[in-house]
Amino acid sequence: MAVLSAGFRRDLEIRRYPSIVYGLIPLVALVLQAWLPRVLGRFAWFDLPLVVTVYFALGRRSPIQGTLMGASMGLFEDALSHHAIGVNGIAKTVAGFLAASVGVRIDVDNFTVRLLFIFFLSILASVLYAFVSRFLLGMELEFRWFTELFKAIGNSAIAILTFPLLDRLQIRD
Amino acid sequence: MESFFVRYRNLVVLLAILLAQIIGLAVQVRRMGDGRSTLDPGDGPGVRLIRLWASALVSPAERAIHGSRLGVSELWQNYFDLRHVREQNLELQKSLDRLRLEQAALIEDARQGQRLQRLNGFQEKYIYKTVAAQAFGSSGSDQSRVFYVDKGKSDGLDRDMAVVTPDGIVGKVRDVFPHSAQVLAINDPTSGAGVILETTRIRGILRGNAAGQPEIVGVLADNRIQPGEKVLTAGGDQIFPRGLPVGTVEKIIPDPLRDGFILIIVKPASQLDRLDEVLVVTSTESRFSPQDQQDIAESEALKGPEAAAIKDEQIRDQQIRDQQKASQIMAEHLPGLIDPNLPADQQPLHDSSNPNPVTNPPKAIHPDRFTPGADGGATGADSVSTKEQSPKPALPAKGKPKQPNAPSDVPRRNP
Repeated sequence: MAVLSAGFRRDLEIRRYPSIVYGLIPLVALVLQAWLPRVLGRFAWFDLPLVVTVYFALGRRSPIQGTLMGASMGLFEDALSHHAIGVNGIAKTVAGFLAASVGVRIDVDNFTVRLLFIFFLSILASVLYAFVSRFLLGMELEFRWFTELFKAIGNSAIAILTFPLLDRLQIRD
Repeated sequence: MESFFVRYRNLVVLLAILLAQIIGLAVQVRRMGDGRSTLDPGDGPGVRLIRLWASALVSPAERAIHGSRLGVSELWQNYFDLRHVREQNLELQKSLDRLRLEQAALIEDARQGQRLQRLNGFQEKYIYKTVAAQAFGSSGSDQSRVFYVDKGKSDGLDRDMAVVTPDGIVGKVRDVFPHSAQVLAINDPTSGAGVILETTRIRGILRGNAAGQPEIVGVLADNRIQPGEKVLTAGGDQIFPRGLPVGTVEKIIPDPLRDGFILIIVKPASQLDRLDEVLVVTSTESRFSPQDQQDIAESEALKGPEAAAIKDEQIRDQQIRDQQKASQIMAEHLPGLIDPNLPADQQPLHDSSNPNPVTNPPKAIHPDRFTPGADGGATGADSVSTKEQSPKPALPAKGKPKQPNAPSDVPRRNP
C-alpha cells in the first residue's frame, strides 16, 4: 500500500521540462561555476552543479536520473580541475540519488524543507569528497570546514533564488 | 533474478556507477614509496579525453562571457573614461626616460656579469620569447587552484612552461589543449617552485596552503628572516628563470609537522585571484631577446653619455665616502688627547683617572741647547704638549741668545 501510494504520488507530481532545459541549465551551471570564482575570488561560496543536480532530482523524483545527473555533473567538475576524475563524481552521484529517493517520500515543495535539504546535501557532498580523497585515495587534502559550511549556506541562498525561476520552466498540462 | 534487478534497479544503478568511478580513480592514482598517494602527473589517454571534452564544452561559453566583460570595460576605458590621460602620458614618458637611464647604467654591469658567468661555466637563462594570453576560467573549486588561458598547442604552448605577469610569477602550464591551456597557480597545494629570499639568500620550496596562500616550506628556523623581505625565483626548478619576483614575506610560523622548521607565508606579487592577461614563457635562452637588445641599444643611444656621466659622478662620490670612512675609522681607533667638544678643564689630557697619564719629562740636571724647552727650542708637538701640560715650562728661555739653527726656527706644526 505504501509503495503504491508513493508511486501514485510520484507519478502525480513528476515535473517535466523541455529537452533543451536538461542540457542548457546544467551547462550554464558548469560555466558559471568555472567563471564566477574569477570574479568573486575567495568568496565564491557555492556549488551550482550541486544545486542543479538536487533541483532536477527533486523535480523528476527518479533516483536513476538523479544518480546519472549527479555523476555527469561531478565528472565534468573534476575534469575542469587538475584532480583525479571521479572524486566529485562520487559525491554528487550519492547526493543526486538521495535527493531523488527522499523526494519520492516527503513533500519537497515546501520551501523550508527544500532549504534544509540542500544544506544537508551540501554538507554530505563535502564529507564524501573529503572521505574519498583522504581515505579511499590516501591523498593529502587540507580541508577547511568553515568554507564548506559557508558553501552550504551559499547553496541554500542560491536555491531560494533559482528554484522558483527554474519552476517556471516546467511543462504544465 | 529478473525481479531482483527490477526491484532494486535504483540501487543497482547507483552501485554500478559508483564502482565504475572508483575503478577509474584507482587507475589515476599512484602509490608512492612512503605510503602516500599522488596523482599521475601525466594523464592517461582516457582521462585526457574527458578533460578535453569538458574544456571544449565549457571554454567557448566562458570565453564569450569573459570577452563581453572585457569588451564593456575596454569600451568604457578607451572611449569614455579618458580623463587625466595627458597627465598620465607625461608621467609615463618621465618614467620611461628614467628607466632608460637606469638601463643604460646597468647594462655594463650586466655584461660584466655575463662575462664572469661564462668564465665560471655557468650561463643564466633569460626570458627569450613569451606569448601573451588571456585568463578566462577556473576549475570552480577551491581545492584546485587552476585557471585556463586562451592560448594552446597551436600557439606554441607546452607543459611546464612558466606563466608570469610583469609583477611576478603566476604558475606553470599543466595541461595543453589545441586552443586553450590549463595553468596550475603557485598557490595550489600541489604546485612547487624553487625560491630564494633576496637578503638572507635562504632557499626553499614554494607551494600553496589550504587557504590559498603561497608558503615556503623546508626552511630551518632563522631569526634573520623578517616580514617584508622579497622572495625571488631561485631558477633551480628548470621552469621559472632565476630572479623573477615571487612576492614578499608576510609572516613566519612554526611548521606544525616538523620541529625546527618554519613556514614562510608569502604575499604574492601578482594578484592571483584577479588575473586577466598573463605571459607564457615559451623559450628561455642564455642571451637577450631581440626586443630586449633593441631596447638596450635604444637606451644606450639615448641615455648612454648621460648615464656614463652619472656613473662617473657616483664613482667619485663613492671614493670620497670611502676616504671619509677610512679617516673616521682611524680617528676612532687612535687615542685623542684633545676633544674639541669638551671644555678645557675636562679634556682627556687632564683626566687623572687615565691609567696611562702623560708624564712630564724629568728635569735635566745640566740643560743645554738640546734640552726640550730650552731657549724655546722644543720641537713641534713636544713644545706644544709641554706648554699645555704645565703653565711653567721646564726651562725658561729668558736671557738665552737666539741661535740661528735653533729648533725654534723649525716651523711648528699646527696641533
